[in-house]
Amino acid sequence: MTDSQEQNPMKPYLGKLVAVKDLATEIKLFRVELMNGGSEAFSAYQPGQFAFVSAFGFGEAPFGIANTPQRGPCVDFAVNRLGSVTTGLHELGEGDIVGVRGPLGNCFPMDQFKGKNLIVLGGGIGGAPLRPVIQTVLDHRADYGRLTILWAARLPSLLVFTDEYDEWRAAPDTSLHLTVDQADEKWDHNVGLITQLLEKVTPSSENAVTITCGPPIMIYYVTRMLAQMGFALKDNYVTLEARMHCGLGKCGRCNLGTKLICVDGPVFNMAQVGELMETFL
Amino acid sequence: MAFEPRIIAYLCTWCSYTGADTAGIARLKSPANIRDIRVPCSGRVSPELVMRTFDQGADGVLILGCHIGECHYETGNHRAAKRLPILRALMGYAGLEPERLRLDWVSASEGERFSRIATEFVDTVRALGPVRWRVPGDEIPALTQQFAAICGDVPLGEYDCAAKTDAIRAKAKELLTSGAVGYVVGYEVGPRGRTRPSFANTPEEADKLVWNPDCTYNLTTYLGKKRRPAVKGIEQPKPVAVVVKPCDSRAINVLLTENQFPREQVYIIGVTCEGTRHDHGALQVRCQTCNDRVPIVYDTLIGEPPAPVPEHPTPVALKIAELEKETPAERMEFWLSQFDRCIRCYACRQACPMCNCPVCLYERDDSLWIGMGVNMNEKRAFHLGRAYHMAGRCIGCNECERACPMNIPISLLNMKMAQEIEAAFGHRAGMEPVPSPVVTILSGEYKEG
Amino acid sequence: MNLITQAQLAEWLDGLARQRTLIAPHEVAGVLLYRPVESSQKIAWGFGRTVMSVKEAFFPPTERLLTIEKSDGGIKLIENLPEGEQVLFGVRPCDARGVRILDALFLDKEPVDPYYARRRANTALVGLACKEMGPTCFCTSVGGAPDEASDMDVMLYEVEGGYAVETVTEKGKALLQTINLEEQTVEKPIVNRQSPALSVAEGSIENQKSPIPNPQFISWPAHFTSEYWPRVSERCLSCRACTYVCPTCRCFIIRDEVLPYTSGEPAAGAFERIRCWDSCEGENYRRIAGGHRQRAEKSERLRNRFFCKFYYYPEQYGLGAASACTGCGRCVDICPVNVDITEVLTDLAR
Repeated sequence: MTDSQEQNPMKPYLGKLVAVKDLATEIKLFRVELMNGGSEAFSAYQPGQFAFVSAFGFGEAPFGIANTPQRGPCVDFAVNRLGSVTTGLHELGEGDIVGVRGPLGNCFPMDQFKGKNLIVLGGGIGGAPLRPVIQTVLDHRADYGRLTILWAARLPSLLVFTDEYDEWRAAPDTSLHLTVDQADEKWDHNVGLITQLLEKVTPSSENAVTITCGPPIMIYYVTRMLAQMGFALKDNYVTLEARMHCGLGKCGRCNLGTKLICVDGPVFNMAQVGELMETFL
Repeated sequence: MAFEPRIIAYLCTWCSYTGADTAGIARLKSPANIRDIRVPCSGRVSPELVMRTFDQGADGVLILGCHIGECHYETGNHRAAKRLPILRALMGYAGLEPERLRLDWVSASEGERFSRIATEFVDTVRALGPVRWRVPGDEIPALTQQFAAICGDVPLGEYDCAAKTDAIRAKAKELLTSGAVGYVVGYEVGPRGRTRPSFANTPEEADKLVWNPDCTYNLTTYLGKKRRPAVKGIEQPKPVAVVVKPCDSRAINVLLTENQFPREQVYIIGVTCEGTRHDHGALQVRCQTCNDRVPIVYDTLIGEPPAPVPEHPTPVALKIAELEKETPAERMEFWLSQFDRCIRCYACRQACPMCNCPVCLYERDDSLWIGMGVNMNEKRAFHLGRAYHMAGRCIGCNECERACPMNIPISLLNMKMAQEIEAAFGHRAGMEPVPSPVVTILSGEYKEG
Repeated sequence: MNLITQAQLAEWLDGLARQRTLIAPHEVAGVLLYRPVESSQKIAWGFGRTVMSVKEAFFPPTERLLTIEKSDGGIKLIENLPEGEQVLFGVRPCDARGVRILDALFLDKEPVDPYYARRRANTALVGLACKEMGPTCFCTSVGGAPDEASDMDVMLYEVEGGYAVETVTEKGKALLQTINLEEQTVEKPIVNRQSPALSVAEGSIENQKSPIPNPQFISWPAHFTSEYWPRVSERCLSCRACTYVCPTCRCFIIRDEVLPYTSGEPAAGAFERIRCWDSCEGENYRRIAGGHRQRAEKSERLRNRFFCKFYYYPEQYGLGAASACTGCGRCVDICPVNVDITEVLTDLAR
């Protein structure tokens, strides 16, 4: 049997960890160099897509791809240590081999966003799939309007990609607003929930789209507030999560009503989510 | 090459591990077959760990702790002393020679004793030969034993239920009208003519409740958090009322001792019982010799105590006695042939009032005790493990066996455990609100702060 | 159609059993299951319906997808694609329809599942028409029939003197080459398409004889928020038996485990990636790391099962108007607390 993924979608590509960095407490960044045909499969992935990363012997789990191919050639994943697979991954270091299956799912319609103002809201580890959105805007700055980033976490030690904030702030017509639920002595930015930050920043809804990712309860309250602020549901984009096992639309676990999050999503706009019948909460 | 057994020894760090050290320092001869695993206390050696050790291929398992009265944690070795003999009986019943599992006591200074016990144990296991327990690899054992479901053939005719039906309806109406309870769990007859559990939420719905010989279900299974429907439209949780037969009422006692719900949250409508029917009309096996015809605990009692039945052994007890006379190999084949058709649907566990763990040990994603595959070793580990967890808690309602799509005779495991517990401790589950002797209850001093 | 006798059929099946795996209805401790049999003598002749469906032959309860070898040299992945030809004998039309419904998911929707595809290509279906419908059958309400042959490779009908044989596909034709079909022909028998136990309807079940409603005429979205689901799920135990006996339920879970070893000791670094059946009725089906559980209430889970069967699956996998239910009635028989799919359909259609 050759290693072609065309023939067996359940068989992962092998990837070597070229870097493992601490991003935050119990959150690590894994930079993977795809091997044996995998680099071809991962040459053109889009922001919003995800992949299954295998810690062989423990299992595999889905993670949002946290960078763009332009910032490649390696693929970035941000992994929060919570269960057995993520614990297995956290035990690995540079040079170790993981498995990668993908890229899977749909993507943010970056082409449709061109010329618009983007408001990006990231809560905790939910910021990871939003990073490629930010990178795309930064790398094609003239194609997009104003970029407003609202970045939140429960604690300062749980904020992700802190060493990139300067790059984001430095970009033209781009602002970064940080908030934490609970501050420490060194914290000198906002304190409070992301909804409170949103109230403070009050971005204009004119010619704007929002992109939100975080815990389901955060998505719920943020999109409710955005509606009150005059944003149309169809202009609010989210990436949803549900437990996935195959990522291919076969195992049936990730459905919300008639939609499968792995193939019809994970990116939806809130007008679509409203038609789902089943709640994403 | 002659067979040399592979033994795993669990040694408690305070006494027996040091005792093994003492033996080594004194240059006493101890067999090389033993691989030591140091544990904090012999009481920590859980049954699942022992079963897994045999599932991984050990020929023998030796557990050594401090002498009784000398445990560093005071009662840890008591726990081992109570639980491990019950486990040995269960595994013996499933086909493992009981001599392959040994529990003993060695103190830190008893190097000679350690050496003697170790040598004795290795000699015993060597004489038994290589263990036949783990089903290797992908092997599907050639199984020849068939054993049809135990149902017996004592017919149960119709008996007058009208009075009880009326009384249940009246009581339910009274409780619902006064608002004393949020709903009443009883029985109804569905459109296909099958009796089934019923939830009366209003006084009008109380009219669908019935009593008949098919009321075999144990309704106390709906009292635990996992399967209890919410009381509708009411902010403060209201009590619920439940119709119980005598066997079911024992489940309430067990659940109360395990703090599944406060006593005042349940209103018990006890009903005396002439026996209930299997699907095809025969008397349920558990009813054949039942002389507990009046509920053990109740808030209101409906019906007169029926006449007692003469004592005679049930088909379950007879089969257990028959199995006990067989060789371990014969018993192993019997049980493997039963577990062979298990599909791990867990219907048995879901039907059981006592199975209430938020995430079952055998279904945890990070479980190291058991894999998730539907293969022989795993299935047997689940069934034996669950039977062990039910020791001293199972009240014999047999809902597990009734719910099983594959007619696996689970009652043969549960009743065997009940017999062992009664012989060792004189305990019958649920007859009093007293916990099972093999369940560890932390005392009040250890409440979470 | 051609006629064959019982003796001819037995001989043919014995011949097939010598060349490939013959899977047929077989009694195991009083439970009727489709199992591999070495000869036709082991077949439970005169069976009605088995407890489990034939889906096990295409989508087994546990399946090894990959073998994983971890060593200092790196990781080696070996695919474990199924080999070997199978013949399924005694397949009822409802079960064969179930296989077709699973085809829509595993084969027709990209990407093709190679494990299912291999088994499907290597398996022939020899059907046996039902002479009548059983007490809990309702295949006719979901577009099937007790004598429906279109999903088989070969179809047999019980007649006086033996069986009428219908060749349905090329694969079936090739299978029949080893049997001498009688010159005499026989008419295809007429089967009673009335479900004998009556439909579920209000009041006395003796009086009403209306069939179980066709689910495609129920407006499913309109019933999503109905109070009906909390009521009907009150007695549900989340026991999951309904999904395991169902011919079309296919939810699965994937995990890495230690590779079972045959002798000696487990080899260090040898794992298998397996997939196993799972069920949406389980309490922790949608539990994610961190503890959040979607569909925490059993009413939401039970509702999902019915909606998936009659609304989500048909839309997701292009079944058109048909439902993903084959009307076999196994779930009705197996449910320990009589949650009845035919009762649900009747109540919703009202």
